[in-house]
Amino acid sequence: MNGTLLLQSVIVGITNGFVYALVGLGIAVVFRGTRIINAMQGEFSLVGGLVAFVVVESLGWPLAVATVAGVLAGGVLGFAMEWLLVRPTRRRGAGEESYLLLTLGVAFAISAAVLYFIGRDTRSLPGIGGEGSAVLFDAAVRYHAMWLVILSSAVMLLLRLFYDRTRIGLSMMAASIDEDGAATIGIDVPLMRSLSFLLGGLVGGLAGVLVSPLITIHYEMGLLLTLKGFAAAILGGLLNPFGAVIGGLTLGLIESLAVLTVSSGYKDVIAMTLLIVIMIFLPNGMLGRGSRKGG
Amino acid sequence: MESSRTRCAGRRLASIALVGFALLPAFAAAQTKEPIKIGAVLALTGPGAGLGQAERNGILLAEKLINDKGGVKGRPIKVLIEDDGSKPDIAKGKAENLIFNEKVVAIIGPSLTASTGAVAAVTNAEGVPELALTGLGPQIELTYKSVYHLLPPQVLNAKAMLEYTTKSLKAKKVGVLHDSGYGQLVLNALQSQSSGYGIEFVAVEKFEVGATDVSTQAAKVRAANPEAVFVIATNPVPFRNARQMRIAQPIVSAIGSSSYQYVNGMGEFAHDIVFPEFVVGEDPLQHQTDFVNLYKAAYNALPKNYEAAGWDAVHILARALEKAGPDAGGEAIAKAIREPYKGVTATYNFAAPDMTGVELSSYVYSKLVNGKFTRLPFTTK
Repeated sequence: MNGTLLLQSVIVGITNGFVYALVGLGIAVVFRGTRIINAMQGEFSLVGGLVAFVVVESLGWPLAVATVAGVLAGGVLGFAMEWLLVRPTRRRGAGEESYLLLTLGVAFAISAAVLYFIGRDTRSLPGIGGEGSAVLFDAAVRYHAMWLVILSSAVMLLLRLFYDRTRIGLSMMAASIDEDGAATIGIDVPLMRSLSFLLGGLVGGLAGVLVSPLITIHYEMGLLLTLKGFAAAILGGLLNPFGAVIGGLTLGLIESLAVLTVSSGYKDVIAMTLLIVIMIFLPNGMLGRGSRKGG
Repeated sequence: MESSRTRCAGRRLASIALVGFALLPAFAAAQTKEPIKIGAVLALTGPGAGLGQAERNGILLAEKLINDKGGVKGRPIKVLIEDDGSKPDIAKGKAENLIFNEKVVAIIGPSLTASTGAVAAVTNAEGVPELALTGLGPQIELTYKSVYHLLPPQVLNAKAMLEYTTKSLKAKKVGVLHDSGYGQLVLNALQSQSSGYGIEFVAVEKFEVGATDVSTQAAKVRAANPEAVFVIATNPVPFRNARQMRIAQPIVSAIGSSSYQYVNGMGEFAHDIVFPEFVVGEDPLQHQTDFVNLYKAAYNALPKNYEAAGWDAVHILARALEKAGPDAGGEAIAKAIREPYKGVTATYNFAAPDMTGVELSSYVYSKLVNGKFTRLPFTTK
């Protein structure tokens, strides 16, 4: 193994780690605000990426406009999901497992709808900063990957500030932790839940726009992203959005270094085995204590 | 002068009317007589849908053309198409229904090797001819006397790649980036043939089907300094990652990766990638032109290899039915199929040991240039 290859693996691991982190972050946002494990988080990304693609390729509008459109599309889908499906289910006294089934069902339905209306073709969204790469000690770093890391980090910091410093962020947390107590002090609990899905959708839409230039858009991408994002969020600690970042980066780096040091054929086996070991010793995730503090 | 022109026009009209009247009974008879039922089991949904849907388009186009020309022995053909969901057990059930309930004279398909094996066990037992839209699979298929393959075996696909690599690129050290499904099948064939071509695989990197990133694998292949790189996958991501990881060497791929579905996803990296295949819709061979034009008119899209295989399957069967007669029975129809046939895809000799008889000379080579396939002058002839 030479130094360039090791550096390249670390760069790839960090890039993929932020991809997983962004999706995991959306899952954590929805869970933090509603206590629902959202199995359709990847579909927010699929829809966000597709809308951005249509805006760029069909309408010929700039990537910045497409990015905004993709993010908003994810948000609208998240809000609609809560309003149209989660809320009526909750009203009828649904349990946790019902929400998992509900979101999983919607994920399959959206994937099938994309297959039916858009087709099987994979689509490529242009990257921010183009498709080129910078060279660092003979290792390639894609410009878009740099933007992905910068924008993802900014979103994570903003979310942290939102939950810690804003009235609405604190209200969302309160509604999630103690529904009756929050209602007693005048917080509109159903609205807070809708806003959590909206926020999760916005993060998912952004993930779609940022991830699509790397992995291409296709009808099955949502479930693939959800699985990795879910692993990242659980690994880091589901209640702490920062946990998704730590979990995502750990997963991305383990995968990448497994390819480099052992065999590419055993990448997933090694990554998942290590995840199991981590979860045995840190059952609340890598930021377990922090997550409990966060509520 | 005027009256002479009028007389000429009158004669021409009369001739057209006469020809029309002459053809009318055949056409009308073809439409009124009981259709000859042909079964087709295709992967229209599931992982193999990219193949099955393309094959269906070719089959339906051929059915329409043959019926427009009067059918087979004055009877129209009717292809009953069933979806196997890319699953062998469903394929077997659908084939049984077509054979026992619909009483089809032959089966076209399936689209995938595993499903072909499942259906072939039934068609062989019942003596129903089967034109599989796959290459030769397990060795047991060699014992079947009425199962024929429209696509070449993987060994021939591998040879086609190695021919170009050694003779056109003059490369001997090759890196391979392949997925664990289709890519693994082609790699196995490549490894069995490589010594004959003096090829050394300096790096072989595998990734799972549908992988979202194979950059590290691509970087490992690049680090081995190959003279050429084989990228074999049913997914555009590895092609993108190979170039993003600055693999500047020529990339050669396999026929299964030469789909517009994947090319669209390659984006600006759909460039300088070579495929050994059979039909280059943008620049077809002379004997493929009619098919390509008809396809373009019907679907407003260019056909590729699997559309052509579906088209050829129906025509091969129609020719055999014409010769043996639709009611001659499976054995006679199977015997008629065995005669050599120059199709759009390739020249077939189903009596050959691989039940296909496709030669290397049937391959054409295409190169992606800015997202478009261009036919290369290289041939193995």
